[in-house]
Amino acid sequence: MGTATGIIKALNSGIKHLAVKRFTLRYPEQKLKLVGDGYQFDPSTGVGIAGYKGRHMLFHDHCTGCQLCSIACEGVAEAIAMVKVQEDWKQNKKAIMPQIDYGKCVFCGLCVDACPFYALYMTNDYELSSFTKEGLIYTPAQLQVKPNIAQDVELKFDNPRGATHG
Amino acid sequence: MSSTSLPPGLQIEKVDERIMTLNVGPQHPGSGHMRIIVKIDGDYIVSADPDPGYVHRGEEKMAEYRNYILNIPHLERPVIHDSCNVLYPYCLGAEELLGLEVPERAKYLRVIASELNRCVYIQYWLAIYGIFLGHSTMFMWPAGDRELLIDMLEKMTGARVTHSYFVPGGIRNDVPANFEDMLLKRVNYFEKRIKEYAAVFAGKLSREDAIRLGTTGSTLRASGVNFDLRVKEPYDAYGELDVNVPVLKEGDSYARSKIPWLDMLESCNIIRQAVQKMPKSGSVRVKLKPNPKGGNDEVYKRVESGRGSLGCYIVSRNTPEPYRLKLSVGSFRNLICLPYLLKGEKLGNMPAVYWSLNYWPVEADR
Repeated sequence: MGTATGIIKALNSGIKHLAVKRFTLRYPEQKLKLVGDGYQFDPSTGVGIAGYKGRHMLFHDHCTGCQLCSIACEGVAEAIAMVKVQEDWKQNKKAIMPQIDYGKCVFCGLCVDACPFYALYMTNDYELSSFTKEGLIYTPAQLQVKPNIAQDVELKFDNPRGATHG
Repeated sequence: MSSTSLPPGLQIEKVDERIMTLNVGPQHPGSGHMRIIVKIDGDYIVSADPDPGYVHRGEEKMAEYRNYILNIPHLERPVIHDSCNVLYPYCLGAEELLGLEVPERAKYLRVIASELNRCVYIQYWLAIYGIFLGHSTMFMWPAGDRELLIDMLEKMTGARVTHSYFVPGGIRNDVPANFEDMLLKRVNYFEKRIKEYAAVFAGKLSREDAIRLGTTGSTLRASGVNFDLRVKEPYDAYGELDVNVPVLKEGDSYARSKIPWLDMLESCNIIRQAVQKMPKSGSVRVKLKPNPKGGNDEVYKRVESGRGSLGCYIVSRNTPEPYRLKLSVGSFRNLICLPYLLKGEKLGNMPAVYWSLNYWPVEADR
């Protein structure tokens, strides 16, 4: 490509792109839609269910305090600690449940794969920033809460002037 | 203390008065996490000595203390933008050691994930290359279009960059509903976009061939050698797909930066073929018992990553953990030719030559 044709081609491309729609996602106002309710795992088949790997969700009525999630995390991030809870469950005689430190968690989801009792899942919640280190540590009571976030923007390809968000 | 026992760059050497030593890095934005000790005469480089090792994390040693499943999250850390390809040889090796047969559907999904990941990595590399050359459009376009495929991988694997998707015995989860439609829409649009990049490439630099130095990947293929493991040693479903790897004869920086771009177009073709040939349903992962033990065996597997051939050597001694794990990475092999390429070149051309090697400091140091 000669210099002159190169310059003309580049200018041509620049002019063309003046009319192309912006691809940007306006993040705090718009949030991208994710698949399903988050990453889950089915121990009976040994295969996961596709979804976003965000903050965990703990089902207190399923957790037996077996510590398998904590053991899986030891080799990865050491984010899970088993703590005492003031609850009385028949299946959880030791009354211990996982507490997750999101300052350490790498969101690999191996703790979810390790749980044989359908007690630990991952949700679509990824906004976990906090002003303090302690704020990143989620107790079993906090992990019980189902997140409620509006994620509805999807990528659109039907516009001939380029793909856009929403 | 004699001058030979000092680390490189600190030695007292007798040199010509005209020659000045420059330390480029390790915090310089034009070098990544490494240092290049450059000796210059005026504007011309007399010698260049790459000094990697600033981001050594002991990945290979860490692997000896974790079982075959827990090794997954940390082994993909060397190149987080290419995490599926980095994990690929490890999974192939572990499968052979543990005697696992991968389901057919998982093989195709692995190919799709690793080709998507290759595109994501190349886009990121191209964006940084653009910044090194002071070309802001070359940064903005790949960084924006990369988002399309990252979004696809997020829907497929559940994470934007570090997917932890491959496991010995298949993949972690099956794809969501409506996957093929979403994927093809994105890939077709992505292909249309990257074809426009042809207008952005500019500035041809004359460079010598460097085949005899044992380079790999885009560096090798830009010098006219047709060697790609996806064709020469097909793994998983690559054997059933028609792969035409791009090869250029020039061997200069421009050719080296063009090869990954052509690779992305080829990846789009491979993904479309794989979607067509993929079994529409079926198992994606074999069930694994907890803490599986490998036999008394050793295995070496290699795949074609975004940076060239990437090998993984695992020695097993009847334990749940690998006895020894060694990664042989393309980045480090390509770095060897840097002193040869830079000799006699102008200092201003250094970023263009250096980054065209497709070198990733973190991967080279492991």
